[in-house]
Amino acid sequence: MNNQQDAVFADATQDVGDAIIELESVDKFFGSFQALKDINLKVGKQEVVVVCGPSGSGKSTMIRCINRLEEHDSGRIVVDGIELSEDVRNIQEIRRETGMVFQQFNLFPHLSVIDNVTLAPRQVRHMPKKEAEDLAMKLLERVRIPEQAKKYPGQLSGGQQQRVAIARSLAMKPKVMLFDEPTSALDPEMINEVLDVMKDLAREGMTMMVVTHEMGFAREVADRVVFMADGQIVEVGTPEHFFTNPREDRTKLFLSQIL
Amino acid sequence: MTTSTVDRSKPPGPGTRASTWARRHLFRNWGDSALTVVFGGIGLYVAYRFFVFVFVNARWEIIETNLKLLMVGRWPVPHLPRIAVAVGVFALWGGLIAGLIAARQMRRGAYLPATMTPLGRAGDLLRRFGLVIATGLLLLAMTDTSGPWLMAAGAVAGGTIGRFLGAWIGKRVLPRWVSRMGMLVLAIVPFVIYFYLVDAVPLAEWEGFFFNITSAAAGIILCFPLGVLLALGRRSQLPLLRTLSVGYIEFVRAAPLYVLLLLANVSLEFFVPPSIAPSKVTRAVVTFTLFTAAYLAEIVRGGLQSVPRGQEEAAKALGLSPTRQIGLIILPQALRNVIPAQIGQFISLFKDTTLAGLALGILDMLSVAQAITQQDAFRGQGLIIETLVFVGFMFWVGSFTMSRESQRLERKLGVGNR
Repeated sequence: MNNQQDAVFADATQDVGDAIIELESVDKFFGSFQALKDINLKVGKQEVVVVCGPSGSGKSTMIRCINRLEEHDSGRIVVDGIELSEDVRNIQEIRRETGMVFQQFNLFPHLSVIDNVTLAPRQVRHMPKKEAEDLAMKLLERVRIPEQAKKYPGQLSGGQQQRVAIARSLAMKPKVMLFDEPTSALDPEMINEVLDVMKDLAREGMTMMVVTHEMGFAREVADRVVFMADGQIVEVGTPEHFFTNPREDRTKLFLSQIL
Repeated sequence: MTTSTVDRSKPPGPGTRASTWARRHLFRNWGDSALTVVFGGIGLYVAYRFFVFVFVNARWEIIETNLKLLMVGRWPVPHLPRIAVAVGVFALWGGLIAGLIAARQMRRGAYLPATMTPLGRAGDLLRRFGLVIATGLLLLAMTDTSGPWLMAAGAVAGGTIGRFLGAWIGKRVLPRWVSRMGMLVLAIVPFVIYFYLVDAVPLAEWEGFFFNITSAAAGIILCFPLGVLLALGRRSQLPLLRTLSVGYIEFVRAAPLYVLLLLANVSLEFFVPPSIAPSKVTRAVVTFTLFTAAYLAEIVRGGLQSVPRGQEEAAKALGLSPTRQIGLIILPQALRNVIPAQIGQFISLFKDTTLAGLALGILDMLSVAQAITQQDAFRGQGLIIETLVFVGFMFWVGSFTMSRESQRLERKLGVGNR
């Protein structure tokens, strides 16, 4: 982890060394509604950034812009030195380097667990079948469900499905992992099994952007916490700063509601 | 209350006597009893008349005499063995594919062979194809030559050998090029059979039930890719492609099939000289294909809409190309979700092949059925009922089997329990 402990307050655009994700004055509209307003954020290599804020604040939209599931209307988004543009090759390249985990898991229900995991390496990276399956088994062990490899997603619990989804993303050996409320659709008793896997991942040095309401996770794992409201980044800080001494009133209000 | 009353501590279960059941469901009160008597009486009367007709009064000798005409029209007798060969090869081919699929599923652990004893498997086959087998035996019983028996024996042998051979091959791990070649061979088998048959008897002379079956099969196979492409075209981002697809679908769906068939019969002469104009059978198949594709496109579009957006997003996020997003993620789920509607459309096409008889003057089974009542031996005896019942029965056997198989396929692919 790239801890910035001495920084009392970490600015959104602070120098984070080698930035792997850069957002520069990004705006996004849905019709006449402005979902993102002048977003500026840099994420450094191996950094874990937790994004929180009230619903409708643009958290999901922001990370969905990073791999072009949503198209931003102005500003720049650069991932690992590649600028997101209309160029389909750039988009594909960024998607290959960027894993994403969804709130609803979005596993492919017609494929077995192992086929879910091997699909992208085989189809996109043209990995031989044997090699892809070895990789998949290794990843399934890492998310602690190797014994479910032959089952279909519908036969797994929510927590297991989400761990498979994480393994599926990791199979592409991404440089960045985006998590869009990964535990929001889970029953309470399954949240921890997913968070544990994510903590392992953070400890191993994966660059992560996590949209979540799990403040415990943010406190324990995040290098920085980004607080958003009404499409804007309101405040960015280290967890200690964010939870003990927030600067903005909006942040204080949010924390008082959620903690 | 005395001890003779019903024991109320136990719920009335399935174990209650028939008379109790009848009292509860059929004769609960005066109104119920009256309805039961009236409709029961009508039902029994109709059933009685039907049985009397089928087993006593009907003169099935008109079918017996003309069985060959009904089945294959005027197909030259010297070339009949070719049909037998074709049927046998098709049975082998179908068995081979079924065996390969079964072996593949077993390898993936999708179903457990232990639950299927040989006896259980025979019972399963009988439940699936018992109707077809019984009908086949009925038809065989009406023949007085050995040819059909040989053909049936060949079909059964071919299917059985193919099934076991397919399972045997499917268990083995083959080099990639071998399995690719094998698939190629399997794919061209229908074409080889087609040319083998056309080589002896030109397409224009394919008649009887043979025409109904082959033209329906050709229409189903050909309309499938076209229908899927039209459905994708309708959802395309490209305005031209979308407009063309929508225009085509809406135009074809607005026209009755019968009108299209009549048009196919006369309009081609405007554009091409009669010398190179395709045969009536070709025109029928092309019309069936174009017509069913439009309906299939709408069915597939429904399937595409039933796949959650998250599936496409997950495929995108993994970096799959648009073609692979559709081909590997969206379409397989979309097609699976609309199997019943697709098969329904195919059943419809199978039955609609009878329209070609009247519209194009092809001697399909229905046309034969009408024509034979005018033969010297049967004229003026009102035997049209017998022949129509027979034609209806044959189509029912085919349609019902397709419908049952579609339900089975649906269950197997696990629609509704994901």
